[in-house]
Amino acid sequence: MNSIENELRRVMAEHDRQAPSVADLLSALERSAQTSWPGSSGRRASWHVPLLAAAAVAAVIAGSVWAGTLLTGHRRIPPVASRLSCPARHGRATLWVPDKPSGVDGRSRLVPQRTPASALICAYAGTNMGPPSRWRLSGRRLVAAGLARLAAQLSWQPRELRGQAIMCTLIGGPQTDYLIGLAYPGGGTIWVATALDPNHCVGTSNGQFSGIGVVGQLVQRAFASGRWPPRPVASCKGRITDDGRLGQETAMVPAGSTTLVICNAHLSRVIRSGYGRLVTALNSLPTSLSTRGCSQRGPSRLHYQLLFAYPKGPPVVVDVMKGCFPEIDNFSLQSGSANRIFPIIGRLVHPG
Amino acid sequence: MDLDEALADLVARSGARLLRVGYQLTHDRSAAQDLVQDALLRVYGSARRRGTMPDDWYAYLRRAVVNEYLRTRRLRSSTEVPTDTVPDRPVVDQPEDRVVDRADLWAALGALNSRQRAVLVLRYYEGLADGEIAAVIGCREASVRSIASRGLAALRQRAVLAGAGAEEGRR
Repeated sequence: MNSIENELRRVMAEHDRQAPSVADLLSALERSAQTSWPGSSGRRASWHVPLLAAAAVAAVIAGSVWAGTLLTGHRRIPPVASRLSCPARHGRATLWVPDKPSGVDGRSRLVPQRTPASALICAYAGTNMGPPSRWRLSGRRLVAAGLARLAAQLSWQPRELRGQAIMCTLIGGPQTDYLIGLAYPGGGTIWVATALDPNHCVGTSNGQFSGIGVVGQLVQRAFASGRWPPRPVASCKGRITDDGRLGQETAMVPAGSTTLVICNAHLSRVIRSGYGRLVTALNSLPTSLSTRGCSQRGPSRLHYQLLFAYPKGPPVVVDVMKGCFPEIDNFSLQSGSANRIFPIIGRLVHPG
Repeated sequence: MDLDEALADLVARSGARLLRVGYQLTHDRSAAQDLVQDALLRVYGSARRRGTMPDDWYAYLRRAVVNEYLRTRRLRSSTEVPTDTVPDRPVVDQPEDRVVDRADLWAALGALNSRQRAVLVLRYYEGLADGEIAAVIGCREASVRSIASRGLAALRQRAVLAGAGAEEGRR
């Protein structure tokens, strides 16, 4: 047996302590099950199982109810969360929420970074053509799995800056407005409004914090399956359309990045160190609010996308396009000229 | 024992072990918890639909956890950032003879592709034979040996290179 295999066994054993405990899993299952009870009348008796003495097992049995409710919930409206229920009608504004955040901080982030006890999605189907009206509730769904993913994705949404005007297409068609009601252990609640719109342009709001991330498709998938889906990962393949990262509205590249990926039509270069000068140069540029658009003036010969990755949370994407002004854009902030940036990128792409 | 009782009993007895396997695969507490929850959900639904229960619940659920991990990683890998690229650096002679830094080794394990990581976790953490691993991930035994070999080679290179880089940085 060579040393790497022995070391591998040791390092795996050493990290056992960092795994989540079964109590975490049980309480998550139990919370999900508890939020499923109201409205699930007639099912409880069939799920009742004599307790096997351990409280943990009872919690798991409750988890079975949660699983059964989720699995059988495709043909009917699932039960609502115990502390939140869907309004019968939506407000006139797309990003309307029925209540402001209560018992949790809704000003510094769209949602808290901790995992909620329950997540309820309310859907209001309509169309973006015609005058605003208060759409009726068309469906609701309890998200029973992936709540940690939900918190990880929504809590990093970049803040929409006051006065920011984002360019959008004007395609008319069906639109579904969503409300996501999150309830937290200890009593806090928060509503998040978003929409799946034909232009993929509607952001998010909790009534106190507005985000620029477009998450309508994620919410649609969660509504259809009852599970919050994994976050799409930004990559060099095709145009990067990641939602961005909280903090990119105050610095072109927020502090703490540990990996840079430089993409263009011909290359994908991963750089793990030595790109501090690029970060400094980008963060020292004069900036204005991003419109997510630019105006072409002459041929564009150079186009890079810079993906700054972090140990935790999503990356920041900085788009650098020569000849399309403003030439630099992280989708929250723009800067006019990339003349100082291209040589630095060139040295990183072709060192020496 | 009916399905609910069996599943409840399993989670009470083996839930922690499954979560540890999930953590070894994902290196992330939240992801590990989601992984085990999702696998539980799939197994529960499948068992209810078929109306039968597996003989070895733990093996069945472990297989579900591993396959859920591979399934979601496949979804991600189609658009994944290519951070597996190893920067060009000089090759170190006989790296397997060196005792590598464990933090580097853990980080290197986390940088492997999903199939390599799954095979190594099943072999060195769960102690499965290559034939058993092949049955879990649905491939031939020879493929398991090949995946493990490539994974170990990548670990040796990455862990040793990381160590070498750290030494250079301290000079």
